[in-house]
Amino acid sequence: MLKGFTTILVKELKELMRDPKILIGMIVLPLVIFPVMGLVMGYAVESAQEQAQKATLLVINNDGEDWSQSFIIYLNRTMNVAVLNDITPQEVVTQNLLTEYNSTQFVEIPPDFSQNMTQHIDGGDWNVTAMVNVYGVFQGGGIFSNIGSSSFNAFVNGFNRAVAPDVVYTSQSTIIKGEIQKGVDPATLSGLLLSQSIALPITLMLMLTYSMQIAATSVAMEKEEKTLETLLTVPVDRFAILMGKVSSTIIVAGVAAVTVLVGYNYMLGSITLGITTATPIDLVALGLVPSPLGYALLGISIFVTLLSALALAVIISAFSEDVRGAQALVGYLYPIIFVPAMVLIYLDINTLPLAVKAILYAIPYSHPIIASKAIVLGDYTKVIFGIIYVAAFTVVIMYIASRLFATEKILTAKLKFKRRGSKKTAEQQE
Amino acid sequence: MGLAVEAKALVKQFGNIRALDELSFHIKQGEIFGLIGPNGAGKTTTLRAISTLMLPTSGSVEIFGLDTVNQAGEVRKIISYLPEEAGAYPNLSGNEYLEFMAKFNTENQNELRETIKEAVKISGLGERLKDKTKTYSKGMKRRLLVARALMTRPKLAVLDEPASGLDVLHAYHVREIIKTYVKQHGVTVLLSSHNMLEVEYLCDRVALINKGKIVVEGKPDELKKKYQSQNLEEVFAKVIGYA
Repeated sequence: MLKGFTTILVKELKELMRDPKILIGMIVLPLVIFPVMGLVMGYAVESAQEQAQKATLLVINNDGEDWSQSFIIYLNRTMNVAVLNDITPQEVVTQNLLTEYNSTQFVEIPPDFSQNMTQHIDGGDWNVTAMVNVYGVFQGGGIFSNIGSSSFNAFVNGFNRAVAPDVVYTSQSTIIKGEIQKGVDPATLSGLLLSQSIALPITLMLMLTYSMQIAATSVAMEKEEKTLETLLTVPVDRFAILMGKVSSTIIVAGVAAVTVLVGYNYMLGSITLGITTATPIDLVALGLVPSPLGYALLGISIFVTLLSALALAVIISAFSEDVRGAQALVGYLYPIIFVPAMVLIYLDINTLPLAVKAILYAIPYSHPIIASKAIVLGDYTKVIFGIIYVAAFTVVIMYIASRLFATEKILTAKLKFKRRGSKKTAEQQE
Repeated sequence: MGLAVEAKALVKQFGNIRALDELSFHIKQGEIFGLIGPNGAGKTTTLRAISTLMLPTSGSVEIFGLDTVNQAGEVRKIISYLPEEAGAYPNLSGNEYLEFMAKFNTENQNELRETIKEAVKISGLGERLKDKTKTYSKGMKRRLLVARALMTRPKLAVLDEPASGLDVLHAYHVREIIKTYVKQHGVTVLLSSHNMLEVEYLCDRVALINKGKIVVEGKPDELKKKYQSQNLEEVFAKVIGYA
């Protein structure tokens, strides 16, 4: 072994393990974050399954013969079924019957269902099959939001196994913003929009963390190089120094926000592939691409969120002595960026308990992700509320930052992880 | 001649630590005044209080009659502060750095040009001013910063360890700049240093500081005579009872 290697290794390990920043960043945070993510994912699957089981399946029986009755009886064995007779799918939608029956999907048994079943089973004509039409409401939810619609397909497979192989087929349609889109499978649509559920939160996470690092480094570099000390003694308003710093990062962040929007728009516009269905799904034609107003609001939401993150990074970095310290301190803010993003990838915020919902709304970094889903469904009020909230949060943060810059705290403030009241640095005493 | 600096009973408390303890001294206009003492004596804290960077816990400082707390904005117009071991912006060239800093003290383009021209002359860095400061040696960087501090012809230049850690040639250049430039333009200088020989060479008067207090003050020759010492180092050791 190399001479002295062990001595150096032990010393390095001691230094690393005794540095509380490393201990927290590399050991404590992963130990906290991954169990939290596990809980979130477990809860997401569980709640989606529970909802699917609890939900009432509305059955429109336009056949009224024996086979349709048998089909409904079979359905009743595993599902909570409500039956309506002689009504068209369009009437179900226009009369808002899904809300009335607390359901997110309905099945239409068409008039020729029993006739086709009889021909197939009793007549031996295997070319004739029966069809049921499934209509699901698109909710723009989380990653597991299509669990409900897929459970009906599993039921049909079970019915076929019990009666005759491949006798019943399903035709999928989706109700989007009160309009029936024939041939659009809700599961396929959810799959396509999954990219939206994942891509924007991840891009935002990267953008926020990167911008915060830039802002924190900018202030910390000034402190490390002592250029800030020089700057604070020249005849310039200290608020101008703060605004200069924040504005430069805003410009960078603004460019980043536009880049995200351009990429996001391109991504949504290009999702027009058929993939698994015979009918190609065109999100633009389905009205699932945001309007210009929606894009504008999303852009504003991203922008104010970035601004608040940058101001927070500036404040945090004021408590460090050097670049390394600032980057480590900013790292402590990452959980409040990552956790909401992860939760909103897996879950639809509307289905969460009130307390969790309140926590997510209270975290400013949730709002662009909530906005990205809301604008698709045209829920602009939610987006505007988020923008106002984040803007107010930003004003408070900027005020604190300006107070910090106006005093000597910008030079002397330090976060201590070791003993409280430990001795000051030689520099302070000098 | 009036007073450039008048510090009265300055106290600065950091938690339980009293960095400055009823510290009082004055500097006459056009003087080079040296603050000398060991690490942790309170030199930098004194310079920071004078430069409006830190608020005294009690006591006051007046710069040419202006209070550093209540008239901080006015004070900043007539002073120039050079922190110990300060750097420049690594991705700016020397010229860009000087221009950036000069803009805060100049009113128009002509004044700006003249100020930068002055800084170029003081620094003596010539063509290297076109290069980014991250390519500079420590000595070159210090020359650039001293030029920045003096280019605006401040009424008071506050220089914290202006030549510390520099090699012989760069240290010589910096000392010569301070000595000659200050005398030519009537700038008052307050500097701190560990280097007693440097202080002896540069300063008209010195104050020895220990544990936040001025322990002795006077002209270097007078102090040496009074304490029958060869140099200020010896004076300091005798005053604090080390020798």
